[in-house]
Amino acid sequence: MSALKRPSILVPLIALVLFILVPIAVPDSQYEQSVILWCFLFAIMASGWNLISGLAGYVSLGHSVYLGIGMYTGGILAKAWGVDSIYLMPLGAIVAGLVALVIGAVVLRTRSHSFVIITIAVLLSFLLLAANLKWLTGGSDGLIVKQPSWAKELGNTPYYYVLLGLLVLTIALCAFVMRSRLGAGLVAIRNDEGKAASIGINTTVYKVTAYTLSALPFGAAGAVWGQYLGFVNPIGAFAILASVYLVLAALMGGRGTLWGPVIGGFLVALFQEFSTRWSGGVSSRVLIMGVILILVVMFMPSGLLPTIKKAVERRRTRGSAVKFIDQASIAASTSVVDTSAIAARDQGKAHQGDTILEVRNLVKTFGGVTAVDNVSMTVQRGTITGLIGPNGSGKTTLFNCMTGTYQPTSGEVLLSGEDITRAKIWTRAHDGLGRTFQITRLFKSMTVLDNLVAPLERTSAAEMVAGRYAGDEVDRAREILAFMGLQEFEKQNAAALSFGQQKLVELAQVLMLRPSIILLDEPASGINPTLIDKLATVIRRLNEAGTTVLIVEHNIPLVLSLCDHIHVLAEGKILTQGTPTEIRNDPNVIEAYLGPDHLLEAPHA
Amino acid sequence: MPDIVLTMTGVEAGYGGGLVLQGMALELERGTITCIVGPNGAGKSTVLRVISGLVSAASGQVTLGDMQLNGKSPAQILKSGVAQVPQNRALFDSMSVRENVMMGGYLIRRDRKLLDERLAMVADLIPLVEDRAHDKAGNLSGGQRRMVEIGRSLMLDPSLILMDEPSLGLDPKSVATVAGLIRQITSTGRTVLLVEQNVRLGMNLATHGVVMEQGQVRLTGDAAGIADNPEIASMYLGKVGN
Amino acid sequence: MEIVQVLALGILMGGVYALLASGVTLIFGVLDVVNVAQGSFLVFSALFTWQIWDLFGIEPLLLIPVMALVMGAMGWLIYRGMVVRVTPQGPGMTVLLMFGVALALEGLLNLIFGNKYKSVTPAYFTESLNIGDLVLPLPQLISGVVGALVLVAIYLYLRFSWAGRALRASAQNPDGAALVGISSLKSSALAFAIGAMTAGVGGVLLAIMYPIYPATQYDWIARLLGIVVLGGFGSIPGAVIGAMILGVSEALAAAYVPEWSALFFYGVILLILLFRPNGLMGQRTREDVAA
Repeated sequence: MSALKRPSILVPLIALVLFILVPIAVPDSQYEQSVILWCFLFAIMASGWNLISGLAGYVSLGHSVYLGIGMYTGGILAKAWGVDSIYLMPLGAIVAGLVALVIGAVVLRTRSHSFVIITIAVLLSFLLLAANLKWLTGGSDGLIVKQPSWAKELGNTPYYYVLLGLLVLTIALCAFVMRSRLGAGLVAIRNDEGKAASIGINTTVYKVTAYTLSALPFGAAGAVWGQYLGFVNPIGAFAILASVYLVLAALMGGRGTLWGPVIGGFLVALFQEFSTRWSGGVSSRVLIMGVILILVVMFMPSGLLPTIKKAVERRRTRGSAVKFIDQASIAASTSVVDTSAIAARDQGKAHQGDTILEVRNLVKTFGGVTAVDNVSMTVQRGTITGLIGPNGSGKTTLFNCMTGTYQPTSGEVLLSGEDITRAKIWTRAHDGLGRTFQITRLFKSMTVLDNLVAPLERTSAAEMVAGRYAGDEVDRAREILAFMGLQEFEKQNAAALSFGQQKLVELAQVLMLRPSIILLDEPASGINPTLIDKLATVIRRLNEAGTTVLIVEHNIPLVLSLCDHIHVLAEGKILTQGTPTEIRNDPNVIEAYLGPDHLLEAPHA
Repeated sequence: MPDIVLTMTGVEAGYGGGLVLQGMALELERGTITCIVGPNGAGKSTVLRVISGLVSAASGQVTLGDMQLNGKSPAQILKSGVAQVPQNRALFDSMSVRENVMMGGYLIRRDRKLLDERLAMVADLIPLVEDRAHDKAGNLSGGQRRMVEIGRSLMLDPSLILMDEPSLGLDPKSVATVAGLIRQITSTGRTVLLVEQNVRLGMNLATHGVVMEQGQVRLTGDAAGIADNPEIASMYLGKVGN
Repeated sequence: MEIVQVLALGILMGGVYALLASGVTLIFGVLDVVNVAQGSFLVFSALFTWQIWDLFGIEPLLLIPVMALVMGAMGWLIYRGMVVRVTPQGPGMTVLLMFGVALALEGLLNLIFGNKYKSVTPAYFTESLNIGDLVLPLPQLISGVVGALVLVAIYLYLRFSWAGRALRASAQNPDGAALVGISSLKSSALAFAIGAMTAGVGGVLLAIMYPIYPATQYDWIARLLGIVVLGGFGSIPGAVIGAMILGVSEALAAAYVPEWSALFFYGVILLILLFRPNGLMGQRTREDVAA
């Protein structure tokens, strides 16, 4: 979902005006208003759900629990304070938000796929709590919520306008999130959570924030809904069907989009109403909704809006030639560009020559296998250092311990003297450690530019709420792209690039972090020799600008030509280290690669 | 006339990240042990995967005897007599050794007599299968697992066995045992194609060698000749005085 | 000894729960999908059992093989026709699909049978077996025993038949299974069929114990989910343990603290999920954010 510059606001505005006019212009429309009220409710819920489940991809099947919490907050406090629950909407939102914050903080720490089940369990637990805490909730019988204090002739109209207002607010909230860095980060998490962490996105904070925000509209709506219904009871407040239907709504309209959940919410509410009226009862409604859910999941899982959009785009681009993306042409361009865009953050500090990355007595075992056996090594600042070794030597495992992908069994990893052994992956990125992946991990649903502005140098609330293109990120991104010779690919979808181009883009992405050291994971694998040369040039320029580079590679000629210093690993231990010339002529190194002599037992067959 | 079991011509294949094999050609004689070596990224494992059907060739041909393999599904290729011993994690850890080997005969499970015969044949060849028949496969050492994996691959009486780095992670003693088993297998007319990181070991075990670089064959010949070839070192480590 | 009585009832009920939960956990083990439609399968089987008994007076227990076959076939069809298309999209969407199936079934059953309680009351419905001080109502006793027997039969099938071995292999190591020629599609379909079949048998047993109506499927979603979580996703022995715990705790609570029983159980479930997301005996290892 690439960001739209100026969305067409005309249609929604017209719709808004029409909705405002309904109670005024159409006489005796109480029935219609009540139907539209359900539409509003579902649109609000589906939009709120979209924040955590559409954007971030964490599907919650029990989200109506926050509606129920809002209903009980409204019902209980309305009774206790004697006010109309309409005034309690902010409180409903706050209570729901707090509960979501607590639950989210515990549940969203890991990427356990039982998140779906947990959300259902939470819903069921609240159902039972409500049924059993008689002194607070009235138990299974529930609470009666007294009639509103406005004149009877007004009927449901105040509810109508209040919920319309809440819907507008919810849509505004969603629009705001989608345009902010928070939204961009959530989409990154949905695409590839591990990768998002490696470029500095504090995935826990982002997920919990989204989860908490998603509960607010539910709580606010719930506070007033109880009074609208006239009573609040456990089964009505915490019905799993409501959760399922609101997910259906978001799915049908198009989760992850702004207007999809709104449209879907209207559709689902209308379907429910019509199937009850015209097919004679609850049973048919459940059957029809079940069938619709099956059909949507099976045949239109991306939803109406995206499907329509794709069909429209296909018609528009039919006939226009597909632009041929040529690997060689990128290799040719060598731009003379101001290297301040790619400069390391601590350039200028007189650190040259000290140790930037150190590994002390590192041991990593997997079950009974010791992959890394008490390895100690250092990487000097300002160098291009290589780490090589045959398959099974443990170099990839060692690399992964440095980046945080693995936790060492024992030993330490130090970055500029600070112990980062147990540090979270995003913390390492914030501290100046960037890394690329052997098989590139770009965010496939985003453009190249969006990929480049996604990295974060720190976790800050101010930055989270800022627009995703605010600040100088876009300019820096463009400069780095120009430096790589990739400026024409700015608007391309990342998934459309060739493998070699993706490698360069991923490197550019890491550079946005202004890392003091970049760890390259087999950068030369899978690309042709011309592109390898280009890559080597880029790495040298980076190094000249002050960035330390550590390369793990199998392409020995590349390593020998590029690196100042090389460590050789074999069978989990450091075999030797030295300059390229020393390594090339070291018989032990040749042995390690070609095979130890002592394995020769039987004569040639 | 040499009895050719497998031929590969002009094969190009990749994983969507670009072509790994760029015009691969290969010929395997019956009863031989051929070892593919080469620097990483050369495409050694990909050759095995193309033959076994896990990766489809974008172009080129793979023939087993007079039957074309490319385009067939892995299950069909398995039925045609090509078994594979992958690099890691091939066994069912919570099943017993005997069960694991039996699972190798899944495709002949309906013929109880044949199944028992094959099981006996494998147990004969690999005493471990009998000695530790009821131990859970997850409790075996690396070398023992490799033996069981090879035993399992023999249950369908394949004419060609593919092995991806059989010596990986094994101590020298286990390597010797595995090597002995591989030689025994081919003495009855089966053909083995294996990939090895360890050039010396590979050429010691094999009868023929293939050196790959960047998706193509650079050298072929007798294993002994390959082992002594000075070009190999430069291929891995670059030219002297670079 | 009242407590023994309560425990005995709990264990018998646990047997039935174990059978049903094993179906859910089996499907999960092979497919990574929680079958939230198991409750509706159960009610489907129970209501049709009632219908046949009501029309023809056939002894319900004789219908066990019939319903097992019917539900098994239905499960297989649902997998091949629907689930297989949706699993590539991830577990969230597949659970949604199963919700759709559950809703559609509930609606259908409502239309056919109406929203009224149905009760199967064979001759032995009110009889019980007396062992000393223990009074074991026959329906519960029969259900518990039959449930356990069928569960054992399933376990043996998985352990010693080729199809069962193939299924276990696919669950453990999909790549290794493909290597020996096992079709993961067939294994998954079989798992789904067996899972639904357990609901087929369970439905008959349920019908002779309690009155049923379509919306009771929701009770079962909660219970089965809880058991599978408690026992660990994908572990049948774990599901049995979880089922026993639920059966006994429900019985204890019903006898001594009626209101809070369910809450206690679900509270425990929630706590376990929060701190051990793979259940007590979970076999699945999932990537952490660190990966």
